[in-house]
Amino acid sequence: MGPMKMKASRWTITILLFVSLFFLFNGMAFASGDDHANSHEAIEEETHGEGHGGDSTADLMELLSRFVNFTVLVIVLVVVVKKFRVKNMLTSRIDEIKKRLDDLKREKEETESKYQEAERKLSKFEGEKQDIIEQFRKEGEVEREKIIAEAQQRSEQILKQAELTIQQEMESAKKKLREGVVELAAQRAGEIMAKEMTDKDQDRLVNEFIKKVGDLH
Amino acid sequence: MIGSKVSKRYAKALFSLGQEDGNFEQYGRELFEFVEFFQDNEDFRKVASNPIFALEDRKKILAIVLDKSDFSGLMKNFLHLLLDKNRIEAVETIADHYTGLTDAVSGVARAEIITAMPLKKEILDGIEESLEGLTSKKIKTETREDKELIGGIVVRIGDLVLDGSVRAQLEGLKESF
Repeated sequence: MGPMKMKASRWTITILLFVSLFFLFNGMAFASGDDHANSHEAIEEETHGEGHGGDSTADLMELLSRFVNFTVLVIVLVVVVKKFRVKNMLTSRIDEIKKRLDDLKREKEETESKYQEAERKLSKFEGEKQDIIEQFRKEGEVEREKIIAEAQQRSEQILKQAELTIQQEMESAKKKLREGVVELAAQRAGEIMAKEMTDKDQDRLVNEFIKKVGDLH
Repeated sequence: MIGSKVSKRYAKALFSLGQEDGNFEQYGRELFEFVEFFQDNEDFRKVASNPIFALEDRKKILAIVLDKSDFSGLMKNFLHLLLDKNRIEAVETIADHYTGLTDAVSGVARAEIITAMPLKKEILDGIEESLEGLTSKKIKTETREDKELIGGIVVRIGDLVLDGSVRAQLEGLKESF
């Protein structure tokens, strides 16, 4: 059933309901008007002192008229209900509501699922965060150890280098001192020997030289 | 200053001529006589070796000097050639090279002996004998004194140096420390 057709049916139902109500109120008004007339007649009858046989007929007619009105109303309603399949409409509406409820339920479940997923992710993220923090902490520790080791190694190298330099400087100073002393001693020895050198010493030195040259042959 | 190679070439040329006629020793002696004269006469040396003076004038002067000598004709021509080629100043170096050539042929080695004190004759003979045994050549010695040696002796034969001086011993002592 399309939306236009559904709309037309609703209009038709509304009109029929107004018609039914019209008959209902018309019947009631008619009955009420009869009742009002009957009451005047009753007053007149009481005033004129007539008998009770006329009242029973009026009540019966009124009752009949109401019954007819009601019957017409019931028939109209039955016809309307049957013609326009109100039950189907209600069923459809119920189905729609059920579907809507199902959708809402599913959406709720999905939302809950998403919420749980978000919770799970949050929990996981918390775990990962802790892992990352732990990892960074470990890496920091390693880096710290490395830096300390390097610094220690470097300081040891510097220390060794310094010791080596000191040693070399000391050796150099010792050597210079020794050379100075030896130079001075040799100079002094040369001066003394130059003073003390005699012809005999010279001859002895030359003879030693001749002997050494002879040994080279 | 004339290069050593040029001087050596002149010395070799003269020595070759001397070997050919068998008078290389005579030419050597004449060459050294001229060198002695050249060194002793400063004026002659300056004029002969200075290209400011005319070559003809210088040749005349050289000719006058050589006429007074009893040098062989070849030696006179050699000295004129040196003057013509403006190489007369190199005559000392040429003489040194010539000596080397004659020594090599004659089996002679020249030894320079340096001492702090004068050597006695018998000791010098002993040194020559010892060096001849070492080099297997006849040794001709030149001696000079050097007080820096303090004592002992230094002998130089060509590139060979034998140092038996006190100075060398003191240097060795210093090196040992």
